[in-house]
Amino acid sequence: MSDYKKEYTPWQAGRSKNITFIVTKDCQLACKYCYLIGKNDKERMNWSVAKQAIDYILAHEIDFPEESVIWDFIGGEPFLEIELIDRICDYIKSEMYRLNHHWFNSYRFSFSTNGINYSSDKVQKFIKKNPTHLSIGITIDGTKRKHDLNRIWNNNDEEKGSYDDVVRNIPLWLKQFPDAATKVTISHSDLPYIAESVLHLYSLGIHNVNINCVFEDVWLDGDDNLFVEQLIMLADKIIEQRLFENYSCSFFSENIGRPMDSIIENNNWCGAGKMLSIDAAGNFYPCTRFAAYSLRSKKPIIIGNVYDGIDKNLLRPFLSLDRTTQSPQKCLDCEVASGCAWCQGENYDAADTPTIYQRSTAICKMHKARVRANNYYWNKLFRLLEIEGRKEEFEKNKPQSSKLPC
Amino acid sequence: MNKKIVGQVTEEEKNEILRLFEHRNGLNELAKILTPENADLYERLVNDMGETTTKFQRWWDTMSAKYHWETDENGSWEINFQTNEIYLVIR
Amino acid sequence: MLKYLVILLDDTSVSFCHYRNDKEVRRLIPYDDLKSAIIWAMKENLMVQFVYPNYTLPIEYVELIDTIDHVDIAENDFDADVLIVNGFDSISTSGISPDLPFVLRITAKEFFDNVDRLSEFSALTIVFTDMEDWGDDTLDKYKTALGKLSRNVSLRISSGESSRVNLVMDRMQLSSMNNCGAGDESITFAPDGQFYICPAFYLNGEPPVGTLEKGVDIPNAQLYKRSYAPICRNCDAYNCKRCIWLNKLKTHEVNTPGREQCVMAHLERNESRRLLESLKSDGIYKTIASIPEIDYLDPFEKL
Repeated sequence: MSDYKKEYTPWQAGRSKNITFIVTKDCQLACKYCYLIGKNDKERMNWSVAKQAIDYILAHEIDFPEESVIWDFIGGEPFLEIELIDRICDYIKSEMYRLNHHWFNSYRFSFSTNGINYSSDKVQKFIKKNPTHLSIGITIDGTKRKHDLNRIWNNNDEEKGSYDDVVRNIPLWLKQFPDAATKVTISHSDLPYIAESVLHLYSLGIHNVNINCVFEDVWLDGDDNLFVEQLIMLADKIIEQRLFENYSCSFFSENIGRPMDSIIENNNWCGAGKMLSIDAAGNFYPCTRFAAYSLRSKKPIIIGNVYDGIDKNLLRPFLSLDRTTQSPQKCLDCEVASGCAWCQGENYDAADTPTIYQRSTAICKMHKARVRANNYYWNKLFRLLEIEGRKEEFEKNKPQSSKLPC
Repeated sequence: MNKKIVGQVTEEEKNEILRLFEHRNGLNELAKILTPENADLYERLVNDMGETTTKFQRWWDTMSAKYHWETDENGSWEINFQTNEIYLVIR
Repeated sequence: MLKYLVILLDDTSVSFCHYRNDKEVRRLIPYDDLKSAIIWAMKENLMVQFVYPNYTLPIEYVELIDTIDHVDIAENDFDADVLIVNGFDSISTSGISPDLPFVLRITAKEFFDNVDRLSEFSALTIVFTDMEDWGDDTLDKYKTALGKLSRNVSLRISSGESSRVNLVMDRMQLSSMNNCGAGDESITFAPDGQFYICPAFYLNGEPPVGTLEKGVDIPNAQLYKRSYAPICRNCDAYNCKRCIWLNKLKTHEVNTPGREQCVMAHLERNESRRLLESLKSDGIYKTIASIPEIDYLDPFEKL
């Protein structure tokens, strides 16, 4: 007599180690907002490097005390290397078991994919082989016009959007992972399409939409107002159509938009340094964003390699970093500071010196705009629920949204 | 299908069944790639699967005896790992 | 706030700290730059520390240096305010009196090999020249050697003789951090006419942080302050060198020390504590505040 109800929450949030294999720097797409500026089809991880990485990590159990592990595969497009990934996952499983490693009882294989190869035989075979340990996110940006605005094929001849090639795989994906979430990225040119895009994703059957504005300095005058307009339009639709009962959108969160205490709320936002990324050359990074192919203007931060291990001194800045030390005074004084995210890699890339201790505030006005729209959403929703006498019931059963900054 | 809450277990008790649940899933997926050629590991896996199934059932027996959850001849219990709540599901 | 200006008079000026100066080609600071730097220091109300090369300066330089109150840092020059001695063997070859204060720059191995003789000096400041190579093995040996050193110092002081070695005694005298303050309290002017965080930054090709014309402009200047160093800001190993250059070398961040620097400072701190308690029990140093006992060697573990 045992079955299990599953609800959508980030798996083992805060209790898991995230280990990322950058299996390839190649991708079928050339998304205009992609931070991976050094994509190429040459740097593909080989089996020897992957095995060496796994051997090192599993042999140093004491250095990885986290209760759980997420073995993450990214690219480029990770499913371009599905055969290698399959071999890596098989080896991880058998080695964790052989070594009696504590992670055997708490692991996931996670993928962020553009979804193009999702229905291929090889990918499907892999999914069927690992059904209870997979977390697969397909990135679809919303409506066709919004998606195709940025997510275009990597083709020099003509600009061609990838929406049709992705959306055809969404039903299969949702059938296999009904609680799956998609990740939407908003840049300047996407702003007019936010509301329609989130609603479109809901209509496709995607219940959890994780969405964030890019951290890069791309925002123009007036973008914040346009952003508020779009979010209010979205809020109205979500409330009018009662979508809040079954769907979540990470833009709307009750916990954002208040001042923060400098002492008790001093944690770093970003998990860089608590994660580990490995590239094709066998180098370790505190996060993928510190690999050369992700950086515009700074040298990569390599914290070791699969042969010599991790230089723990190079992790100390990441692990001792707190909110107040890296934030400018305007952030410390900010009346709506909570929920304002940052990416350590972007901070580093945009900093005046090669430091991770200088917080970029390019996203400031967009966060403030989000807070205004968020206030509107919750005021309107709670008033409605109060009138209906259902506020308590909603509080108890409301869908969870994940707190995924990047 | 009818579903209602019939009880709740402690965090410690939840963690025990969650660990067994994850372990069993791990064994099932490992079984797909291990072959008898890998004799030592294969034998260990087979034994482990039997033991885990036993421990699994023992947990439900112990908990149901401890908490006296409501039963139904067409029903089964489920646990929600987020809330630690036990549901009776009648099909 | 800046308090000190270090002026490297030549590219071959002696090192007085952890960094190595491997430069062999002389490059004397231009006279006009030196003059301007001195005037700038006067206007900024800074104490000037001149760091000398191993050759005699032209007389006009000597006269110019004398126009400002200053500290001279030089190797094997008994008239210098800060006398630098490189290598343990140089002590005997240079004929230094045990009563003379001096800075002894040595490797860990030299320290371990000669630790029994170090308590003979009345005002010895030891600086290690190979800190970047220290690992757990060196730290283990260091702990043992410090214990030996402090026992020797204790015996000498208790028997009425003079003995003072910074490694086991600095912490007793301090009630707050006492570091070089590079980038915060001190700045270096180099023979190329530009400002640097410290001599090591200049000698290792790091970018300058200003010129005499434009003044000092340190990007992310706050990171040189202790309040912006999460590992250091609540630390009470006040004896720590808190070497900004070693921070950069080991962790790539000027505000973050590597583990070895932290453990080294705490081994010294703890040995100072033991030495102080021992002296107090002999009725000496009774008025000096005790150093609290702690259960860690690396404050990073306490974050």
